[in-house]
Formats: sequence, C-alpha cells, structure tokens
Amino acid sequence: MGERYSPPRSLLRGIPITIWMLCLVAVPLGYTFLISFFQVEGMQIAAKLTLKNYGLFFTDPMYSRILLKSMLLALAIASLSILAGYPLAYMLSFRVRRGKQALFMLSIIPLWVSYLVRIIAWRTILGNKGVINSALTALGFIKEPLEFLLYNRFAVAVTLTYICIPFVFIPVYTALEKIPRNIMEAASDLGAGELRTLLNVVLPLSLPGLITGFIFAFIIALGDYIIPQQLGGTQGIMFGNLIWSQFGFAFNWPFGAALSFILLAISVTILGLTSRFGSTEGGFLNE
Amino acid sequence: MSRPAASLRRWERGIGLKAYGLLVYFFLYFPLLIVLVFSFSPTKTIVGISGFTLKWYLELFKDQNLLTAFFHTLIIGVGAVGIAIVLGLAGAFFVSRVSFPGKSVFRTLVLLPYILPGILMGISLLVVIKALNIPLSPFTVLLGHVSFTVPVVMFQIMSRIARMGPNYQTAAMDLGANPVQTFWYVTLPMIRTALIGAALLAFTVSFDEIVISYFLTGTWMTLPVFIYGMMRYGLSPKVYAISTIILFLSLALIMLMSRYTGRSAEVYRVRRPRE
Amino acid sequence: MFSPAGGLRPRESFRSERGMMSDENAIELRGVRKAWGDVVAVQAFDVGIRKGEFFSLLGPSGCGKTTTLRMIAGLEEPTEGQILLEGRDVSRVPPYRRNVHTVFQDYALFPHMSVRKNIWFPLKMSGVSLADARQRIDRVLRLVNMEGLERRLPQQLSGGQRQRIALARSLVDEPAALLLDEPLGALDFKLRGAMQKVLKDIQRNVGITFIYVTHDQTEALTMSDRIAVMKSGRVHQVGTPDEIYNRPATAFVASFIGEMNFLHGRTLGAEAGMPQAEVGGQRLRAARSTVTGTPGAGDDVLVCIRTERVQVNSYRATEHEMAGTVRRIVYRGTDYELTCDLEGQEVRAVVSAVDWDPALKVGVSARLGFNGADITFFPREEEKEVVQYATDAV
Repeated sequence: MGERYSPPRSLLRGIPITIWMLCLVAVPLGYTFLISFFQVEGMQIAAKLTLKNYGLFFTDPMYSRILLKSMLLALAIASLSILAGYPLAYMLSFRVRRGKQALFMLSIIPLWVSYLVRIIAWRTILGNKGVINSALTALGFIKEPLEFLLYNRFAVAVTLTYICIPFVFIPVYTALEKIPRNIMEAASDLGAGELRTLLNVVLPLSLPGLITGFIFAFIIALGDYIIPQQLGGTQGIMFGNLIWSQFGFAFNWPFGAALSFILLAISVTILGLTSRFGSTEGGFLNE
Repeated sequence: MSRPAASLRRWERGIGLKAYGLLVYFFLYFPLLIVLVFSFSPTKTIVGISGFTLKWYLELFKDQNLLTAFFHTLIIGVGAVGIAIVLGLAGAFFVSRVSFPGKSVFRTLVLLPYILPGILMGISLLVVIKALNIPLSPFTVLLGHVSFTVPVVMFQIMSRIARMGPNYQTAAMDLGANPVQTFWYVTLPMIRTALIGAALLAFTVSFDEIVISYFLTGTWMTLPVFIYGMMRYGLSPKVYAISTIILFLSLALIMLMSRYTGRSAEVYRVRRPRE
Repeated sequence: MFSPAGGLRPRESFRSERGMMSDENAIELRGVRKAWGDVVAVQAFDVGIRKGEFFSLLGPSGCGKTTTLRMIAGLEEPTEGQILLEGRDVSRVPPYRRNVHTVFQDYALFPHMSVRKNIWFPLKMSGVSLADARQRIDRVLRLVNMEGLERRLPQQLSGGQRQRIALARSLVDEPAALLLDEPLGALDFKLRGAMQKVLKDIQRNVGITFIYVTHDQTEALTMSDRIAVMKSGRVHQVGTPDEIYNRPATAFVASFIGEMNFLHGRTLGAEAGMPQAEVGGQRLRAARSTVTGTPGAGDDVLVCIRTERVQVNSYRATEHEMAGTVRRIVYRGTDYELTCDLEGQEVRAVVSAVDWDPALKVGVSARLGFNGADITFFPREEEKEVVQYATDAV
C-alpha cells in the first residue's frame, strides 16, 4: 500500500506527464494507425478508409519477403551480439577482481560514441579502399580489393552487431552480478565443474538478462534504416528502408504508416516478451 | 586427474576466456581508433600513414554551417533536457507514489519513445505535425527530442526514488512542511545527484540523435543531421575530425555522468534501522 | 503552546476556546471509518483521548491500528466521521497544518541533514526565529539525552540513537499529541525494554499526549494509561490495562492479552446470580459473562480462565476441581507451563516454580482447580476471533 493523500488531489500531480504522454506518444501512434487506413490520391492524402495498404503488404510478396529477411537478419545480429557480449560480461563478472569498474566503463563507452561516427568508421574499414582491403593488398594477400565486405548484408550485420554489443552487455552483466557467489561455491562444493556450473547454474540464473539483451538488440536491428542505407547496398535493404522510402520518393504516407504500424506491432509484442521472460532491471535506464 | 594438471587446465581456460574478451574489446575499439587516426591523416587511405596534419580540424572551425549545426544541437539538447527535468520529475513521483489503475500500461507508454526504433517515433510525430499543418522548424525538432528525453529522466529518477528508502516526503509533511517546502528542502537535495546524472544522460542521447531529428526538421540542422548529410553527399575527411571531437566530448560526458550515477556516487544511502 | 513568531504559515491555533465536552480531550474520533471501496480498514467507532494520556492502539497486523493513526496524523482521510484536535475538526486538514507529529517505525530522519538540522526542521517550517529555535533544540536534545551529537549525520547513529532523534524532532515544537507507529519494532529485545522506559519517562515529563501503535501486548500493558484493542478493523475494547486484562470484553481481547484457556461448555441455569455451564461433566460457575440474553439451558459457550489461575495439585482450596491427564510439561525457568487433557479438551496451566508439584509428570493424573471468580463466559461464536497459535498452524 503506497502513501496516498485523497486520490483526487494526488492525481493532479500526474497531469503534466499525462499530457506529455498523450501528445507525444498516444496520439501520434494512434494517428499513424489511423492514417494507415487512408489512401493516396494524386499528391494528397485522402481520408477515405481502406484496407488497401495492409492488403498490399500481405499480397505483394516483395514486402513480406523484405520483412522476413529483416527479421532473420535481426535475429542473426542479436545472436552475434550475445555471442560477443555474454562472454565479455561473464569474464568481467567472474574473472576480473580489480578494475571492474574501469573495465565496465570500457565496455560501455562505445555506446556513447556517436552512432554516425561508428557507421563512418565501419565504412572506412570495409570499403574497397578501406582499412582491411588496403592492409591485405599491402601485405600481398590479395590483388584486387575484396568486394564482398561492403554494400551487402554482411556489412550491415557487422555494423549492427557492433552497435548492439553494449546493449546486450549491460543487462547480462547486471544479471550476472546479481548471482550470489556462494551459489557458485555451493555448486562446486557439490561436485560441479566449471562448465556444468555455467550450464546449470549461471546460465539459467542470468537468462532473464540474456533475454532482455537479446530482445533489445533485435528491436534495434529490426528498426534501423540508416545502416542498411549506408552500408547495405541493394542486397542489404531492410524493412526500415522500405518504410523510409514511403515518406520520401514514393510519397505513399498511408502505406508507410501501415508498414510502420506492422513494425510497431512486432516491436511491442516482442517487448512484451521482455517483461514476461526478461528482467526489468539491467535496462540502460536504471543505474 | 592429478592436481597440478587440473588447476593448470583451469588457468588455461581462464586464459581462453580472457583472450576472447580481449578480442571483443579490440573489435569494439578498433573502429574508433581508425576514426582517430584518419582525422589526423592528410590522405584518405591508410597503409603508410603519410604524415600528421591538423588540416581537417582547422577546416572544421572554418565551416560555418557545421558550427551552426553544432550550436543548434546544443540548444536542442539544453531545451529538451530542461523540459524533461520538469516533466520527468513530476512524472517520476507521480508513478512511484500514487496508485492508479493501468499503471503498468502507463509506464510502458511513457517508455515507448525511448525503446522503439527511431523511425517509428519520427514518422508518428511527423504525421501528426503535418496533419496539424505545423511547419517543420526547430520547435518540431525540440518536440521530437522531448519525446525521448522525458522517459530517460523519469525512469532514472524513479530508480532513485525506489532506492531512496523511507518516505521522507511524508515525514516532512507530517512535521509541518507544505508540498512546496517538502520538495525544496527534502526531495530535491536527495535526488540531486540522480537528477544531474539523468540530465547528462538525456543530453548525451539528444546530442547524438539522428533519426527523429531528420524527420522533423526542414533546413534547420542539428549536428547529426549535418554529418548525415556529409555521409550521403560526399565524405570529406572533415568527418573524421568532427567524429573524433564528438568521441572525446562523449567520453567527457560519460566521465562526468559516472560521478553522479551508480552506486558509487551514492552519498545518501541510509542503512536500514535494523542494527 | 507556542505561537509562531512572524510565522509564514500560521498553523491553526489549537487552544480550545469553546467549552465543549471535548475540552478534556486532546483528540477525539467520532464515527471514524475508513474504507477503500469494498475493503473496510477501520469500522466506525468513537473514542476520546485525554490530554497527557498515554493511549495505545493494540492489535495484530492488519487490524487497522496504523490506518487509524494515519488518519489522526492527516496522512489518510477518513471515509466517514470526524477527527477533532483539541476541539477543532481537522478531518479535512492536511498533515502539515495539524499540530500533531508522527514518529515513524523507520524514523525517516533526513539523511542529508545533520541531527541538529533534522530537529530544526519543524521549527523552520513554522518560521520560528533562529535564537528561539536554538534554545528549543538544545532543550529537547537534553530531554532525549543526546547532547553533543548534533553534528552527526543519521547514518552515523545507532538504532537507539536514531529513535531518540526522531522523537526529539517530533517533540521540539510541542505538538498537541505525538503519534508513534511501532517505534520500537526495529530494536532488539533488551534495547526495546530500555527504550520503553525512556519513552514513558519522556511522556510523563513533558506531559504530552502519546498515541502509540503496537502489536506487542506487553508493551501496551506496561506503558499505557488506556488501550484500544483492535482486530480486523473493529475496536473490541477501550480500557485501562487492568480492565483489558481482567475484564476483557470479547473472546478476542481475552485471547490476545495474556494466556487464556477457552473451553467448550453448555449453559445451565444461573445460580445465586452467577451463570453456570457444564464442562466435561462438571458444573462451573462464572463471575462474568458477556453472553447476552437469558442463557437457556444447553447453549454453547466458551468457558474461559487464565492459565495462571488454574491451580494444579495445589494445597489451596478451590471452588471447582477436575481431574486431567498431563500431556506436556514445559519448564520456563520462573514457572512451568502444563498442558492437560480434560475430558477431551485441552487445558493449559502456568504454575510458578514455587508451587510446582514434582510428582507431576507426563501421563499422570493432575488435580486442576478453578475459582468461579476467575471464570468468564463468552459467546461460542466468538471462538473464530480467538488468536492462538496451535502447533499445526506453524
């Protein structure tokens, strides 16, 4: 039972935030949903209700194919991020004794380096005249620059994984730090070796953090459009680009709204999974 | 298995993990290193760093548009954070202390702009703004930024409130302090550090924000929008220079932030009365 | 009572000008009821608490005692009824404009303020001058025996010390009453005993009205002038410790305070004005009965007697005597607790070590003696309100 004064009076305190929420969240998202039922006539958006937009999405295989591709790619990216982030968190949590705070900061810093900067960096690394190619050419391993590094799904995957690793690291690390060390001792006391302790004790206990991290990475990867645009070429086009183009050249806002809403529905559903199976702490909004 | 061999294996396995960790750190920092190096290199290709130059940095300071964009970013940052502090504070206490139906839905809705992909928020806001016939301007950009700075501040403060312990506000009121006095003398001093940390965090997020800003601006550019333009229409090595500057700025901000957030900075921890 | 010097926010002056019957009462509750929707936390009741009284609200968790306290403090608003503070209706007045202060169970000392600043706080809020404040702070620090510790921060104090500072802080501006919400709950046993004495002394010295919430019956009995015993939102009885202990109004009160035996009996007609019931074949007379109406023959009643009033193999003559079989003996240092089986019912007796018959062992027959003066009848329906802990409940 929380503290409360007479309810009407204390509810007044919530007015500013409620107004904010309505204006900047509820109404825009609601209106987007509404628009997804409108249609385009000439250069105008006509307020005539129609299911055409959703119909287009479900009938034309191109759109659903791109969505599927994007989701699979996002899945791969999230998995790779876990593969990189989980061992890192494990190492920091269980293997490092001194300097934990410093190494933690070290793992977090890339998160705060500008998003665009990180994209520019990878473009430089992967390009034809980029770091990798120049190095390999100079060392004599190759004659021609490797084309497959940039402007395809591979580049998108590498860069997005790079972005997502810190987002995975934080919840996993938080979860690992929460595991009482005496449980580990109890496990080895009962005869479990390192690997078994990991599989049977650490992993299950850190699972909520892992799931949270995975889902964050997935959502980020799914909704990104700048990285596919800058590094993906034609092969690396993702759902975000599809949405974006509806608001650019294609000028089909209702359709773009429909696509947005589909992305919204997917994101919200998956985020709902976080609150059920993941941990609510370890989000980067907590300390 | 004999003892020495087992412990050797353990040590080796420790090494394996540490080596992997090192690899990951390398992966994380190599690109940043590249940017740093290129910002000082006169040519655009690596291999044989042919010299050291500050040329690009100097060009930066001569680029009026860039400097203007930087300035714009600062204004938006300060503005969005200022608004976020007011709304976020009120909202944090409201959600933490008052019970009302549908609270978890409300919390989720507030958090949404921060965790949803930027493209969703950007489009949604754009669509409403257009429907209301509001022209795209610094104001609309600010609006976009306020959408995600408020959750950042609010949730950080909520986290602090949750760890604050006994209800000091109630005690203050009981002792004769009206709501204003309570806020000023009791609440504010206690969440001061969390508030500063949250403000810094929100500022950092706002500083770097590209997607929503891009949707909601006309010709009025923030720095990320400007850089994005540079990325799309011609990559001058100036980009590396500005990137490096942003890198160190962010670093400074995080260092500053770590003074104010996290358990280490917590001065006002009260031990439970149970002795 | 002080009046704020140039006060910024003058609090209601609580000097009662009107000669109402409530003039004696520091606090009065009239028909006060608190409900949240369907859930009734406190059922409507009236009580008057006199000036300078040490008044306790006693009951198990969830009985509504804390809710009642909060309503007096202004932290909750009563759904119905009125709360009068020195004759003035303050039911809708916010807590910062009521002249009562609360000592919370977790003390809630402001961690960012020194001891001195903490104590200064209420004075500051009502605009007391610095010079004035200094005097009063010093005085109250002397009262709670904490001089010299003013510069400390709450984190640097022990539990008992924080307790006293919280007390000092609430007393410094001489409120009409002090509300204490299980203030000793966080302290260990010995410290609690010591603090009970300290609290009682302070209350008597200052002469201030205390309203004290606790679930510890011993605490209530030793410290209070009067006690209100509550369960599930209902006030069962308001009375002095003696009244509560020796003349409990309901079976619950009888069970909650002290140790009571509850036996099943059937009523028989009254004899010489004293009601009678048959228990295990024997006819017992009772000095008190709360059973209303004329008890006809054959009604079910609860026959109650305190465990320390049950004589076992005693040389003293008693009105009634029954034979029981010893089931369990627990040695408690100063006394023995004996559990006997009496015609299928369980009877517990507490026998002081002095009166103990060494021949008593598990399985033997024991001579149980009762006096009618110690027996009370309660209606059988009240049995479900009885608070006892059987071993199978653990």
